[in-house]
Amino acid sequence: MKPLLQYASHVLNHLRKDLRLEWRSRDAINGMLFFALLVVVVFGLAFDPTGYPTTTRQISGGILWVALLFASITALNQSWARELRNQVLEAQRMAPSPASALFLGKAIANMLFVLVVEAILAPIFIVFFNLQALGNIWLLAVILPLGTWALVVNGTFFAALGLRARNRELLLPLLLLPISLPALLAMVQATTGVLTGDLDPIQINTWIKQLAGYDIIFTTICILLFETVLNAE
Amino acid sequence: MTWHSFFNMSTMENRHLLSAYATVLVIQAGYLARVAWQWHRTRAPRR
Amino acid sequence: MPNSPIRDKINPMEQRSPTLRNLAWLWFAIAVAVLVVGFREAIFLVPSDAAQGDVGRIFYYHVPIAMWSLLFPYLNFAASLAYLYWRNRDPLKALTADAFALASAEVAVVYTSITLITGSIWGRAAWGIWWAWDARLTSLLLLWLLYVSYLMLRRFSSTGQTQTLAAVLSVFAAVDVPIVYMSIRWWRTQHPAPVFFGGPDAGMDKSMLPAFVWNIIGWGIWGIFILLFRFALERRRQIADQDAALQAIEASLEIPQ
Repeated sequence: MKPLLQYASHVLNHLRKDLRLEWRSRDAINGMLFFALLVVVVFGLAFDPTGYPTTTRQISGGILWVALLFASITALNQSWARELRNQVLEAQRMAPSPASALFLGKAIANMLFVLVVEAILAPIFIVFFNLQALGNIWLLAVILPLGTWALVVNGTFFAALGLRARNRELLLPLLLLPISLPALLAMVQATTGVLTGDLDPIQINTWIKQLAGYDIIFTTICILLFETVLNAE
Repeated sequence: MTWHSFFNMSTMENRHLLSAYATVLVIQAGYLARVAWQWHRTRAPRR
Repeated sequence: MPNSPIRDKINPMEQRSPTLRNLAWLWFAIAVAVLVVGFREAIFLVPSDAAQGDVGRIFYYHVPIAMWSLLFPYLNFAASLAYLYWRNRDPLKALTADAFALASAEVAVVYTSITLITGSIWGRAAWGIWWAWDARLTSLLLLWLLYVSYLMLRRFSSTGQTQTLAAVLSVFAAVDVPIVYMSIRWWRTQHPAPVFFGGPDAGMDKSMLPAFVWNIIGWGIWGIFILLFRFALERRRQIADQDAALQAIEASLEIPQ
């Protein structure tokens, strides 16, 4: 029990550090928010919600997640930049706390940032696309966090993985997108199912369960393999 | 309209009228407050 | 060195002159007074719209602010051009121009945001939709996005480069605005006919005029006030930075005895 509590307190410390640093500049959140808004506007111009309301509802799930995906990638790309600048990773090697605690703290921090962006973006998205959810809208409160965690946990991991790579910022989406495809499929299908009301609840629940399973599996893998990646010299 | 009917929140139209005017007030006053606060925080020129 | 001639040259606007302050307070008072009259006219005196009812009173705030919001981007453009012109010729004038560019960009965003939000609230109540991707709304949204991106550039760029990069972006934005407007207009048209120009319901009923006029004057006076206030704040910051830099230089000069 004690090691678990110790681990949790390490994670909490890393999390607090990241939140405090971000709160001081709020760079990542502002950048993410504006970027996601821009993607939504571009899609609004491209797919003309006013002219084609039914089609819009069918693709709106996909559009929302693509917007969040792009926004998360921009934030994830520079999520380890501060650590790199201040030689934190070398310090981590000498510290007794497990590296995975650092990873988990950062992943949770990134998760919170993206959730904040989602919370602000969702109403704007609904307005711009004139959406009325035909299904049970409370399911979105389950789907959005699960989907976001899938993107963030893998994204934080691959961002660290590509840290010493040559074309670091290009590498992240190249690695993240293929691995995330099953999760993306599940989150888009579930969201669209809720918005259009076309899928019956059993199917939506299946998608949600798949998403949850994906989250559990990949969180475990990331935690287990983070130390390896950090010491991959 | 009267003050009474202006603050009447029962119809959707009136709520929207109220919130539109409130938005203008909040944003303009908020911006003014921010500029004023930063004015006080900035050192006055030494003279 | 409190009376150094250099300091006199650097800080022409730093006189804490009571005249300027009194003028500012007076202008503020006039703005508030006119706006109060405008509010009274809009809500209590002018008759409600035949078609829309009382919700139509949003018009008296939405339209004047929308009209003024189209001015500030041009001020930003002019100030940015002035900055680029003076950048290598007269750095002090350039600094002032830059402060004005920043202030006008911020006020542009404030006015445009209000226009978008109140328009959306009005649209929902009067026509049932929060938003439509028609020519006018989309153009205004893009204007807003352009100037928010200008402010983001100012925030994220490294010091030293900020002003020049921002001025350049401002030129891009200003050139883009008419292009955006024309292209989107070609793409579609759905917004209700403008009250002054064209369309079957053109022209405003004379009974509505007082509210409209008072509010347009009021928001104009307010806009000028808040713009100049923000400009003064920026100048104050610039001068404070210069003072600090000058102090550092003076301190370093005194060291070798």
